[in-house]
Amino acid sequence: MTNQKPIEIFTPPNILKAKVGCAGIGIDSAALQRAEAVMEDLKSEFAAWMNADIAKLGYSRDAYAAHPGVGTKGQLFRASHDLKGQALTFEHPVVARMAASLCKLLDGTPNTPLLLIDAHVNAIRILVRQNVRDESDPTTNAVAAELEAQVRELQAA
Amino acid sequence: MSGYRFDRLKILVVDDNQHMRKLVAAILQAFGVTHITEASNGVRALAAMREDCPDAIILDWMMDEMNGIEFTKEVRMSKTSPNPYVPIIMLTGHTSADCVQQARDAGVNEFLAKPVSVKAMLSRLTAVIENPRPFVRAEGYFGPCRRRRNSDEYTGPERRSEAAGESMWVTIKSGDER
Repeated sequence: MTNQKPIEIFTPPNILKAKVGCAGIGIDSAALQRAEAVMEDLKSEFAAWMNADIAKLGYSRDAYAAHPGVGTKGQLFRASHDLKGQALTFEHPVVARMAASLCKLLDGTPNTPLLLIDAHVNAIRILVRQNVRDESDPTTNAVAAELEAQVRELQAA
Repeated sequence: MSGYRFDRLKILVVDDNQHMRKLVAAILQAFGVTHITEASNGVRALAAMREDCPDAIILDWMMDEMNGIEFTKEVRMSKTSPNPYVPIIMLTGHTSADCVQQARDAGVNEFLAKPVSVKAMLSRLTAVIENPRPFVRAEGYFGPCRRRRNSDEYTGPERRSEAAGESMWVTIKSGDER
């Protein structure tokens, strides 16, 4: 009996359910419609929010370029990771794709070349400035694919 | 459908990005939630928990000072936790299987991948209300059960006992017995 590991499984009181009551079966469609309408209204602010995220990416890049190190690299990774998630929400799928590539570059390579970081950051800036959102645009696709290929190549080396 | 009384809930939104906090808060307000607190990292979220006792938390992963995983472990495992049972919905761009597993192992209840979708958010909120996972107290873990909800459907190996490689005993209690 000395090797026994006690595991206790129990059901805590459902406080949330007690507070909100019953909604019937399935998703609350009225709440869903209200929130969809709010989301539509907020879309007018997405461009300004994207610009703020791009500016943050730029500051982080500058900090890393001036003082390369674990701290500044981590800051740049967080900025690119934020952008990866936010850009999809703010309807910039290609920016999200390039930000994801930048995340891989920063996360997976010990000696990250600034040139390749800059290639990502500059491409992202141009996409946002020119409001390029079309995933099927051949030029955008070619740039994104090339950046991803460069990252893969670097990580394989 | 009459809907839930979301106006009775207090929700804490934790994200280092102010725009994402604003977006999530706006969606929650549209659901009917009136009491929303915001925090920009895990340390501030713990302070907000102590002050405001939220009923549920929507949590980002990557944040300075204390990230979402560290915060979740603190909430679940710390003796000074303000509420180890609080439902935590992780909203993140970390979407790989490893990341989902890491979040589950920390004690997250539900996982929500960015981009933010109104329907997915309502679905996760509904899940923590209607289908709360039972809690597990074991060596090295306290939090929602990490097994599938409908355990009868699971036909895979019993990892919990195999991983230990030792005998174990399990007690199952209802909420009233605790």
